[in-house]
Amino acid sequence: QGTQIKDVIIKPDAPATLLLDKHADYIAAYGSKKDDYEYTLSEYLRMSGIYWGLTVMDLMGQLHRMSRAEILEFIKSCQHESGGLSASIGHDPHLLYTLSSVQILCLYDSMDCIDVDRVVEYVRGLQQEDGSFAGDKWGEIDTRFSFCAVATLALLGKMDAINIGKAIEFVLSCMNFDGGFGCRPGSESHAGQIYCCTGFLSLTGQLHQVNADLLGWWLCERQLPSGGLNGRPEKLPDVCYSWWVLASLKIIGKIHWIDKTKLRAFILACQDEETGGFADRPGDMVDPFHTLFGVAGLSLLGDEQVKAVNPVLCMPEDVLQRRGLQPDLLS
Amino acid sequence: QHGRVKVKTTAQQEEEKKKEREKKLKIYVAARDACFAKRKEGVKDEEALELTQQLLSSNPDFATLWNQRREILTHLETIYDSELHFLESCLKVNPKSYGSWFHRGWVSSRLPRPNWVRELSLCDRCLSLDDRNFHCWDYRRMVVKMSGVSVEKELEFTDRLISSNFSNYSSWHYRSTLLTLLHPESPEPKSPSRDPQTHSHQYELVQNAFFTDPNDQSAWFYYRWLLGRGNFNCFVVLYFPTLATITLFCAFLFSQRTICDLPPGTISDITNEHNLTVHWSEKPTRRDCALYTGRSESWCRDSATDQELFRSELSVEKTSVLQSELESCNQLQELEPLNKWCLLTIILLMRALDPLGYEKETLAHFQTLKEVDPMRSAYYSDLCSKFMIENTILKMEYAEVRVFSISDKNLTTLCHLDQLLLVTHISLSSNQLCRLPLQFAMLQCLEVLEAENNLIEKLEGLYHLPKLEEVLLRNNKISSLADLEPLASCPKLKHLDLRGNPVSQSDGVEAELKTLLPNVTELLL
Repeated sequence: QGTQIKDVIIKPDAPATLLLDKHADYIAAYGSKKDDYEYTLSEYLRMSGIYWGLTVMDLMGQLHRMSRAEILEFIKSCQHESGGLSASIGHDPHLLYTLSSVQILCLYDSMDCIDVDRVVEYVRGLQQEDGSFAGDKWGEIDTRFSFCAVATLALLGKMDAINIGKAIEFVLSCMNFDGGFGCRPGSESHAGQIYCCTGFLSLTGQLHQVNADLLGWWLCERQLPSGGLNGRPEKLPDVCYSWWVLASLKIIGKIHWIDKTKLRAFILACQDEETGGFADRPGDMVDPFHTLFGVAGLSLLGDEQVKAVNPVLCMPEDVLQRRGLQPDLLS
Repeated sequence: QHGRVKVKTTAQQEEEKKKEREKKLKIYVAARDACFAKRKEGVKDEEALELTQQLLSSNPDFATLWNQRREILTHLETIYDSELHFLESCLKVNPKSYGSWFHRGWVSSRLPRPNWVRELSLCDRCLSLDDRNFHCWDYRRMVVKMSGVSVEKELEFTDRLISSNFSNYSSWHYRSTLLTLLHPESPEPKSPSRDPQTHSHQYELVQNAFFTDPNDQSAWFYYRWLLGRGNFNCFVVLYFPTLATITLFCAFLFSQRTICDLPPGTISDITNEHNLTVHWSEKPTRRDCALYTGRSESWCRDSATDQELFRSELSVEKTSVLQSELESCNQLQELEPLNKWCLLTIILLMRALDPLGYEKETLAHFQTLKEVDPMRSAYYSDLCSKFMIENTILKMEYAEVRVFSISDKNLTTLCHLDQLLLVTHISLSSNQLCRLPLQFAMLQCLEVLEAENNLIEKLEGLYHLPKLEEVLLRNNKISSLADLEPLASCPKLKHLDLRGNPVSQSDGVEAELKTLLPNVTELLL
């Protein structure tokens, strides 16, 4: 009677060790699936897909297995006149893929492949009067895009190109009764948006504006009996929330409020022993998106077989050190 | 990709599937290439609409195609109504596509006479299928804004949803924004009224929810917010002008500390009384402080109890409401001893009513909470630490002393350090603290720190403390000389006890410490 808790049950024979080699093989082979239907269907996010694959390979120390030259050429062909980058050739530019491409170029230390000044102009041009950012010229507003904007500019060392004060004002106007953040003012709190907003506030030096005690509570309540994390109340756990929720907790200094042992067990159970890769939950189909966030989550939990990952930018710490970028974290 | 179950198939099934996918791929690629070709040639016709429609029906996340459609629609100018029809079928198939919802909003705003009633009814239908669809809620908020639906009507709408459904977090969330519009500062209107959305109605509504279904977490989250409303972010102002430094020292609650220097020559001699007034432009207000003859320090401080710093102001009405809710929650707790929401809420109610009076019960309930909800033990430990620190500050105030003593209370974290700016002696011994955080550096009056029997590894906050003389750290976890470096900036440090720390075992540490801290006369290793 009453509400049942939505959760999964982890089978006793679920994977319990980290199968890094299998994941590396899975990602290395993924790019060659150009004749695959699902692969083609996801063309609209290809640039992000490449960023997910390369980042997880770098975290596993396997970046050398990816086709650097081909990818750099691809990125070059994705920069448009406006300065923005698209997900793939022939697609329209957007902040999401502009960020992904800049992240990839950081991994490869090849920022000179694109016209950086034009990128900065593109980002600047998307800021609205109220400080918010549109994703592209069509005008969709979302705090995800505020994050994409400052993250892109932070990686390029050009944060002063935008009106930071107004940008901060807008993001703070999206703070809710529970300490969380949504897409736009008035939108419900969601772990993905919370990651973007805490990341934004970290990059703009405004973490003191977060109610860390309240938000930290909401975030640690994402952990379900199975040990997995959901994205908001009454939803099923999903390995990608091991990233959005965990990174947010790390940023606000409350990662110790999660039961790390149980979470680790859940993440490991999401591996596919046959194909390699991680799925959203045990037994489902794997994909590069969940593979990155599973591995990144394990890194945040302290797994020493994986490189340290930066919780704000979801990139290897050593890559960011190279660029001299060390975003604030609350302790 | 979410929620795609992996299904095992035979080799033959695999082969058939493969052929099917190859066929699908061919069709898809052809259609996509045709769309791109039309666009490249600048052709904006019905056929282009057909092609994009084909692809978007099954792949509404292909954002570039929505862009292309918008270009065509702008060019053709008259297809907007059928576009809404197409969008409805898209949303039926995939009600969670950012692209579809944005496009619908774009189309609606371009209609000469948008039918917001129809849009609201679309939202109603969508929410009746899934009342947690945030895309739909966001769209609804846009429609409400454009068509001027009243806040009261929307509150009624949430009332209806909440009373008919569980899984209502989205509705409660919406209520929190609507109420804030109606009553910006606090949940209590100045005069009692027949308004159904009054204060006690608020409490009744949510109480009904969690008593009907104690496992409905959304109601408990909302209730915690209601309890905390009216906690004013008032600031504690501490002046501390001293002749030696001639520094004005102020602290703001929930914000960062500011140290300002007085203009030179302000306090030219100590034989006269001086009166100072400080104005803040950020929160327009002021405080006055007198430096009496012969004194070298002075202060002015808002009291924690007067300012209701740790809890919201309680009217008589609210007190009796909360009292009866505490009784009801206690009854519920007997029926559902494993319900952690109820236990936590009881603690919060006791904090709201009488933090010092209920201290014993609070500690007992935290113990139970950790047993009932072990995954969140660390959270409960930190929260309990916070409440014990608050109680100690209140007791300190009643006793009018400058000593802060909180030993053997299982403290896992420190907070409210900005409340301890005037304290001269602090005892934190026999707790579970791992570090003395940066905020410690605010404690400019601190002379003696007792912190034996903890788990302290780092002393980040013990720097530039001008009056610090004695630091007792016996039985902690300080392991390297580097961890002690902050102490070098404390000029008056004389007595340092490091017995029972890993660092005291290292070779030559005594000599290194004599170099690092030459003014220390009593060093215990």
